[in-house]
This record gives sequence, structure tokens and C-alpha cells, in this order.
Amino acid sequence: MDKYTLLALAIFIPLLSAFLCYTFNKPWVRNTVVFVTALIMFAVAGGFVYYLIHSGGKIEISLESLHLPFDVGFIFKLFDFLLLAYIADIGMKHKKPLIVFLSVLQAVALLVFELVGSVKEPHVVFVIDYLSLIMLLLVSVIGPMITIFATGYMKEHEHHQHLEKSRQPRFFAILFIFLSAMNALVMTNNLSWMLFFWEVTTLCSFLLISHDGNEKAVKNGLRALWINMLGGLAFVFAIIVIYNALGTLSLEELLRNRMVSAGLLPVGLGLLCFAGFTKSAQFPFQSWLLGAMVAPTPVSALLHSSTMVKAGVYLIVRIAPVFSGTTLGTMVAVAGAFTFVGASAIAISQSNGKRVLAYSTIANLGLIVCCAGIGSYVALGAAVLLMIFHAISKALLFLCVGTIELEIGSRDIEDMQGLFKKMPFTTVIAVIGMISMLLPPFGVLLTKWLALEAAVKLPLVLICIIIGSAFTLVFWSKWIGIILTLSFHAKYKMEKLPVAMSATMAVLVLAVIFTGVDISMIFNAVVAPFLTESLKGLPETVLNGTNGLWLVSESGRMVGGFSSFYFFMILFLLFLLYPYIFRSSKAELWKPPYLCGANTEEDFKGLEFNAPADTVEHVIVHNYYFAGAFGEANITPWANFIAGAIIMIMFGVVI
Amino acid sequence: MDIVILKDILTVAATIILAPIIGGLLTGIDRKITARMQSRSGPPILQPFYDLIKLLGKERLIVNQTQMMFALGHLFFAVAALAMFMLGQDLLMILFIMAFSSIMLIMGAMSVRSPYSKIGAQREIVQIMAYEPVLILMVVGIFLSTGSFMIRPLFSDMFSFGKPLLYDLPLVFIAFIYVLTIKLRKSPFDFSTSHHGHQELIKGITTEFSGPQLAVIELTHWYELVLFLGLITMFFARPVWIGIGIALICYFCEIVIDNISARMTWKWMLQATWIVGIGVAMTNIIWLYLK
Repeated sequence: MDKYTLLALAIFIPLLSAFLCYTFNKPWVRNTVVFVTALIMFAVAGGFVYYLIHSGGKIEISLESLHLPFDVGFIFKLFDFLLLAYIADIGMKHKKPLIVFLSVLQAVALLVFELVGSVKEPHVVFVIDYLSLIMLLLVSVIGPMITIFATGYMKEHEHHQHLEKSRQPRFFAILFIFLSAMNALVMTNNLSWMLFFWEVTTLCSFLLISHDGNEKAVKNGLRALWINMLGGLAFVFAIIVIYNALGTLSLEELLRNRMVSAGLLPVGLGLLCFAGFTKSAQFPFQSWLLGAMVAPTPVSALLHSSTMVKAGVYLIVRIAPVFSGTTLGTMVAVAGAFTFVGASAIAISQSNGKRVLAYSTIANLGLIVCCAGIGSYVALGAAVLLMIFHAISKALLFLCVGTIELEIGSRDIEDMQGLFKKMPFTTVIAVIGMISMLLPPFGVLLTKWLALEAAVKLPLVLICIIIGSAFTLVFWSKWIGIILTLSFHAKYKMEKLPVAMSATMAVLVLAVIFTGVDISMIFNAVVAPFLTESLKGLPETVLNGTNGLWLVSESGRMVGGFSSFYFFMILFLLFLLYPYIFRSSKAELWKPPYLCGANTEEDFKGLEFNAPADTVEHVIVHNYYFAGAFGEANITPWANFIAGAIIMIMFGVVI
Repeated sequence: MDIVILKDILTVAATIILAPIIGGLLTGIDRKITARMQSRSGPPILQPFYDLIKLLGKERLIVNQTQMMFALGHLFFAVAALAMFMLGQDLLMILFIMAFSSIMLIMGAMSVRSPYSKIGAQREIVQIMAYEPVLILMVVGIFLSTGSFMIRPLFSDMFSFGKPLLYDLPLVFIAFIYVLTIKLRKSPFDFSTSHHGHQELIKGITTEFSGPQLAVIELTHWYELVLFLGLITMFFARPVWIGIGIALICYFCEIVIDNISARMTWKWMLQATWIVGIGVAMTNIIWLYLK
């Protein structure tokens, strides 16, 4: 297989599957299509890994070498305007003048840009380097896995909805278009093409969020649409400004520049970062991602892990080397760090599991943005690693919460008490997923540690990350504590799940563990080459991956590090003890918990006791949520205000 | 290379064996001094060891099958943190591993449906939220002073004199001593557990642990105590014996504070720790930036 075939497969196979899913409304056809597409996409991703390593770390595809019989640039422009027209039509249909206004403004700006002076399109249209490869792997491995999960989930979901006609063909078609657009977005080198794919993902996310068609779904979908259209508008302006500054639309040529403090280029970069902020739901644009919860679980899993929000941070990480070390970089870092601490604080007060996950996503994206803004070797390394680990763990956690919700009919954390008894399989997987977000030696914590060590030179950023990680600890440990609660004398019952769901979760949890154990392999194979390529010749502290990650300063001195591999090995040995402890507990030694009085006789759960005057008291214990201090309604307006100010300052310093 | 590895293994082995002995003795002395301050004669100094042996031999009553696992996890991560400290590893990572140890105890307390144990666990979480930022700031201060996150092995220079860390980080040290009171569960910050079973919290986070489980938790506290005293020593460790002496003086001060103060509320603690602890440590760090 050559690179052209791989490229064509990565973009057109999901499109073909979308067409097939839309046309044939037979469950077995759909399931086969989803499964076969997943296999092909895994193979394509593997093919890219092989091809990239054997072609020296960069694959370039120029327009001429494609030998297309038509002008593909013109077709993209045509599609661009069709897309904007469609979005304007949606705005019209739902009586949202803002959306109409934003799309018309975008169309006018694009039209003026094309008409005034002939735009020279870049020669090389697709460039695949290690960062693209990482994104490709995330999109083409996690994405199809979520669609496989969705075949099981959507059946149950529609069963609850009592629809007359299944809407699954539409659902799966949009999912596949989404994956196709994401694949194209991370490979293209032409900024104006990237804009098109960017807008396709915006439209797809609207269609998916509003999929259920009820009032709330449509309302939240429209909010996602207008916020992301705002980002799209910033993207259009960025293209215009950057073209005027550099005379090119090629991302590769943009990256050859180092930012100078004056001129148009910084403004263009600032606008691109703004676009990234909207797509990655940074404060003050977080509301669309929170609203996206109304959609079926596979949609949230997809939006939060490998696609959509990752497109925003991908763009920022991509352009980060250009503004590394400048004031713009510092402001981006401050914006990201502020989002990290703000979102983590609000997450403490949430009892809705999906909202906790959403705020945690926003926080982690903030940390990625922050690291990209710092822009040093260690910081960029942390950003890329966090993109990988967060995508896997978060996809897993959303699928877990979705499964739990189907089973117990609630996504409230308090309702998950004693979940281990009802759903041992899902609970164990969910706990591993949560621990991987929180504790060493798993990847997410390692990146947080790297971020802290990289942020040491920026006090404001540093204090935000420090306080943010303390908050993170609070909301995760509360949740883990709740779902690990066991009743006295629990009777375990294995849950029955469709194979598509349980298999996906099992594979993802294995991925979480393996990527955690082998962090140095991942770092050496894909992250280190990207860092050395994009930060050529800057003398600074670098990372070294042997059995873990080590910070090595310019002078070759080791200034920090952790051998996570050995730590994992000891941990595994420890877990071998568990069955022994589990079995050695004899039933006659079991005692109910102490409840401020004698437990009632027939009390087999340890929840009731005899209170004074022969009354029976029922014990209920809730978590602390600190609604007064960390309440969403208290913090959000202030956080939005400050985040808005930070973005203003960001533009203030570049203009 | 082999000699280095052998030395590391010996250090870890010595740590695992000696730390609980030192920790247990210090706990015994703590109880004796506390008793004298309250005009009691107090238990013998070896009493903590008798208690431990007694607890280990008790009937293994359990509320559920996972408790022991969490207690062992609590112990394991504390030992790991101490071993990494003695080997001179990355201090920030040592803090995270210490946090993992505390989280294990919290999960163990939350795994039973007992109101007291759960409330104790929630309060413990609040405590972590309060002290963790100050500890991380301490590491940042040490980095700014030494240029590295890897700490010098404690016994690397026994007798040579040199500039102690305290010279650059006096305020960070004060903030650290302040949060140490929380970490050691001393009054006024002992609200996640209490030494007396007849208060509003019963025994808080450890209410539902008994027998061998409780022994494991007690053992963990000894390891933790040695680690904290080691951290204090680190501020003065040129030469190391001065550091050890000052660490013991600080521990005595903690005992005095424990005996002269009453338990405060968690809200007060959170505010006080963040404003005083973070404020003081940050002041120190800002002057290091400007230097």
C-alpha cells in the first residue's frame, strides 16, 4: 500500500460507511458495516505508523502528485459555501439570528478574501508528521471503538425512547462523517481546507447533540453551533491575517517562522488560538460542552475524548512552537491554567456524574492548552502525552457512566452507592479509569507532574496548576469512594451487557493499563520525534524515556524523573495478593458497621439501627459537595468574566 | 554500577526495617510527653509496639472484604514514598505517592456504609485539599533553590558543613511546619479522626477498621512520621545530624501545639491553611524569582 491509498482510505472509508449506514436500515447490515469499518480504520492507522517510521518521520503529498482531473481547491470552496448556507438555514429554521449572522459574516469574509487578489494555494496539501500520527491513532482507534459500543448502546437507548421508526441510520452516518472530517483535519497542510473540515466537525456536533430531537437537545445543540461558529469566524480572520503576513496558507511554512513581537503574524496566531479555545470549550466557552451531555452517551464519549475538543488543542499544540516563549505564549498558558483551576473547582460541587466528567475534560484541555502556551520541550511533551492519555481514559469513563445510566436509570453520583454489588464488571473498569485520571503511576498524573515541573518559571500559571490539581484530587476521590462502597453482606450479581459494550470497555481498559505501563515506549516512539522536530536547536531541559520519564537539563544533569515502569510492576505483584485476602475472610467474622446504636435484627445491609424510644432509624450518608464555596452558579459568572479578560489581554499584547 | 544498585537495595531494606522502629519509639515518646503535660504518668515508651502486636493477634473482624486491601495499599505507598525519599528521587513524585497513600485510606473508610467513617473520609479529603498545594509549593521552592527536583540523599554528607536549604526558604519552612500539624493529625486539625472514641466523630476515618487492619494503619503512621521528620531534616541537612536534631525539636513543638489547642472546624482550617500557608510560601517563592 502506498501513501495515497492510505490517505484515501483514512478519509473515504468512513464516508462510504456513512453512506451505507444511511441507506440500509437493517441492524445486521449496520453492525457489519460498523465492525468492518473499525477493522479497516485500525489497519489504516497501523499502516500510517509503519509508513511514517519508514519514510523518515514525514509524509508529504502534493496536489500535482494526486493527478486529479478537476480543481479540488475550487470544489472545497464550493463545499465551504454550501456548508455555511446549510448552517444559516439551520439558524433560520430555529429562529436564531446569531447563527445566521455568523455564517453570513464568515461567507462574506471568505468571499472578499478570495476575490481581492488571487490566493495562492499551497503546493503540498497533506503533511503527516508525528503529531498528526498521534491524532490519527486517537481518531481511528478510539473513534471506531466508540461506534462499536454505540451499536449496542443505541439499541437500548431507542428501546427506552419508544420511537416509531429507528433514527439510527442518521446517527451512525453522522458519526462516520465526523470521523472522516477529523482524519482529514489532522492531516491537511492547507489552512483553508482545515477550516472546511473544522466547520464540518462543528456541524456534525450540532447534529449529534440535537439527535434526540427534544427541546433541550435542540437548544443545547444550537448553543454548541453558535459558539463554534464564533470560533470558525476567528479562524477565517486568522487565515486572512496570516495570508497577508506571510503570503501563504501552508501550515508547514507557517511553522518555519519564529514569532516576532510586531506585525500581523501574532494577531493571526492569537485568532487561531481563539478558535482553538472555542472548540476545546475553554472558559468562557465551556457551556456548549456541558450542554452536549443531553446527547446519547457515544456522542459525549466521542466529543470528549478523541474528536472535536481534541481538534482545538491539536491546532494550538501545532502552532505552539511558533509562539513558544513569547508574551502571547504566556497568555495562552495563563488562559489554559485558569480554565484548569476553574473547571476543577466547579467539578467538586457537581453530583451529576456526566457533568463531573465534562468539567474534568474542560480542566484537562485547559492543562493541555496551558502546556502548549508554555511551549518548552517538557511542556509540549506533557501536552501531547496528556492528549493521548486523556483521550483513552475519558472515552472509557464516558462509556462506563453511560452503561451505568442504562442499568440504574440515573447519572447521579449519590445513586451509585454500592454499585459494585449490582455491576461488578463495569465498576471495576470505571474505578481503573478514574484511578488512571488521578493517581501515579498512570499517564495522566505523570503529565500533570511534568506540567508542574515545566511551569516552575511562570508563578501565576504554577499556582493555578497547583490549586487545580488539589481540586482534582477531591472530586475524583469522592466519586471513587462512593462507587466502591459495599453493603454489609453484599450479594454480587454479574450484570448482563451486550457484547459490543462490554468488549469495548474491556479493550479500552486494557489500553489504559498498557499505555500507562509503557509510557516510555510511547514517548520514545511518537512524542520525542515530534518534539525534536518542532523545537529544533533550542538548548533546554529535555525528556528521556527509560522505564519512565526523566528530565535532563542542558548540562546533562538529571533534574527530575520517575521510573513508572518498575512502580507498575510492584503494583501488579501487590494485586496478586488480593484473591488471597478476599478468600481468607470468613463469613462468621463479618460484622455490621457501627451506627450509633444497636443494628436492627433483620438488618442485612447495615443501614438501620434501633434509636431511643424503640424507633428504627435509617442511615443515609452523602458526600460533601461544598455548594456554597464551589457552586456552579457562584463561580461560573466570575470565571467567565476573568477568562474573558485574559483573552482580551491576550489580544491586547499582540496587536 | 552494580555497587550502586546494591547500595540502593541496602538503603531500601534498612529503611523498611528501621523506619517503623524509629516511628514507633517516637510515638511512644509522644504519648509519654503528652501524658506528662496532662499530669498523668503515661504508658511505657514501648507501649506502641505492645499495641501493634496485640492488634495483629486480634480476631479478624471485617465489615467487607476490601478493607484490608485498602489498608495494605495505604501502607505500601507510604513505604514507597519513604524509600524514594531515602534514595533521593523526584520530590514532587514522592508527594504524589504520599497522596496516593492517603487516598487509599480514604477509599477504605468510604467502602463501608458507616456514617462516622464516611464523614471522617470526607474531612480527610478536605485536609488533603488544604495541605497539598503548600507541599507542592515547598517542592517548587526547593527547585528554585537547588535547580533540581531530585533531592540529595539524606545521608550523602554526614559531617561536611554547607549552606542549608533553610537559608533560601525560611518562609516555605514555616508553611511546611504549619501543614505538618495537619498531616500528623494533631490538634487543632485532628477532625478527620480523634484519639478518643467518645466524641461526635467516634474514631472518624478509622472507625470501621479493627485488629490487623488497624495494626497496618498504625504501622503506616510510623512510616509517615519518619518521612515527615526526614523532610524537616532536609532543610538543614548539611551536616545531617543538625537536621535530625532540629526535626526532633519541631516534633516536640507539634506535641505542645497538640496539647494546648482545641479542634477547629474544617472550614476554618481550609481558609487558614490557604491564606497563611499558600500566602507565606508564595511570598518566599516570589523573592526567589526576583533574586
